[in-house]
Amino acid sequence: MIDVARIDHWAASGSGPLHRASPISKAVFLLFVISAAVLSRNPYPLMTGYGVLLAVAAAARLPWVKAAVFSWYAAVFALLYGISLGGGAWIVSLFIVKAITPALAMLMLIVSTPYPRIFSLLSSILPEALVAGLFMTYRTFFILLDMMDNFGAAIRLRGGFSRGNLFKNSTNISGGIGMLLIRSIERASRLYGVMVVRGYNGSMAETGTIRPRREDWLPLGTGAVVFLISLVWK
Amino acid sequence: MTHMHIPDGVLPVWLWILGLVVMSLAVGVCVLRLRTMDLRKKIPLLGAVSAAMLVAMSLEIFPLAYHINLSVVAGILLGPILGFLAAFITNLILALIGHGGVTVIGLNTLLLGSEAIMGHALFFLLKKRLTVFWSAGVATVLTLFITTLALIGIVAISHIDPELVRHGAEFGSVHEHEITVKRFAIIVLSLGLIGWIIEAFITGTVIRFISQVKPELLGNELHKDKVGQ
Repeated sequence: MIDVARIDHWAASGSGPLHRASPISKAVFLLFVISAAVLSRNPYPLMTGYGVLLAVAAAARLPWVKAAVFSWYAAVFALLYGISLGGGAWIVSLFIVKAITPALAMLMLIVSTPYPRIFSLLSSILPEALVAGLFMTYRTFFILLDMMDNFGAAIRLRGGFSRGNLFKNSTNISGGIGMLLIRSIERASRLYGVMVVRGYNGSMAETGTIRPRREDWLPLGTGAVVFLISLVWK
Repeated sequence: MTHMHIPDGVLPVWLWILGLVVMSLAVGVCVLRLRTMDLRKKIPLLGAVSAAMLVAMSLEIFPLAYHINLSVVAGILLGPILGFLAAFITNLILALIGHGGVTVIGLNTLLLGSEAIMGHALFFLLKKRLTVFWSAGVATVLTLFITTLALIGIVAISHIDPELVRHGAEFGSVHEHEITVKRFAIIVLSLGLIGWIIEAFITGTVIRFISQVKPELLGNELHKDKVGQ
């Protein structure tokens, strides 16, 4: 289950050292970890790197247990791919740690950085129309989540969900999604109209994503350590 | 399992770089076409359908723990250009929450985006002969079957070292390579089959619901290209 709402809450409400670091330093941290995962041919340095990331996440008061659990979503494809290569436990474990280590780094970034700052950072590399689309998606997502919660409660109260009855559940979910799509199109059009009337011109107001901060040593140092471990430990 | 988000560090570097290059070109073309459209209408639509895709992906169907992705619905409602961009936005947000890799956003977007494009084309082709429900359902099964084959193709290509191929040698023996790809294909196709049927049923029901409640959404209203068209 993807829990964007909870991730957004952690990003907006936290006050640890990673929350105070600049988004650009966390992006560099992510690049370090991804490079380590790409270059590594041995699962042990990446396992150590994963441990380092967990320790830093815990020390920085991030929800490290949840982040660790979410990072294992990435393991499913890696497991199938490793099995398909037929290389045994070594290859499978290598692919799994190659997948979950960058996933954990990404989760550390996302649970410590509010979305507007991330979109602001992305606006320097993506076209304006796409950033506006990302922003509208993000805004609409939370509106839809509320609507879907209400819909789910209504269906449950009327006995619409039953364990084991796939046909009934699928039919009810489909009705909800259809209603959700129609309402979301109407609501998003109204929301965009309101934003335009209030002066929205496609650019994000959030600034300061590139300016370095004192706390940047933590993500930069952590990323460099994970990268060096995979570089030195062959 | 109709969508499988490939994580970072698993596929060879040349393959995901190629994916990023092709995706960038495709997104560039789509953004150029988007600029000729009425942005005040299209941006909210893009956001609404992308958000609905994300919400659908967060819903679990008991008792299979299966997640749907609505990429064919996005293609039918938005058309190929906006459908592809919705796939890119969805994949980018998924990558931001660790559900699919950053380096493989290119390949993931090409897979999900091709579902939107093919779903759109097949639905409007089949609609001439079948009912709305069956057109959407059959289009979904065919689309997901083809994109699953594309995923298997990516895995098959990734097993070959391009350096060795360039110098006239091959990865392991041909027989060994066939066995590993075959194993992957069996796993993915057998898991995928259940997913395609569920996704097809949901897509068919959603599109039928929309055709009954707001039929103008299926009349190509949402994906007309030019301003004021």
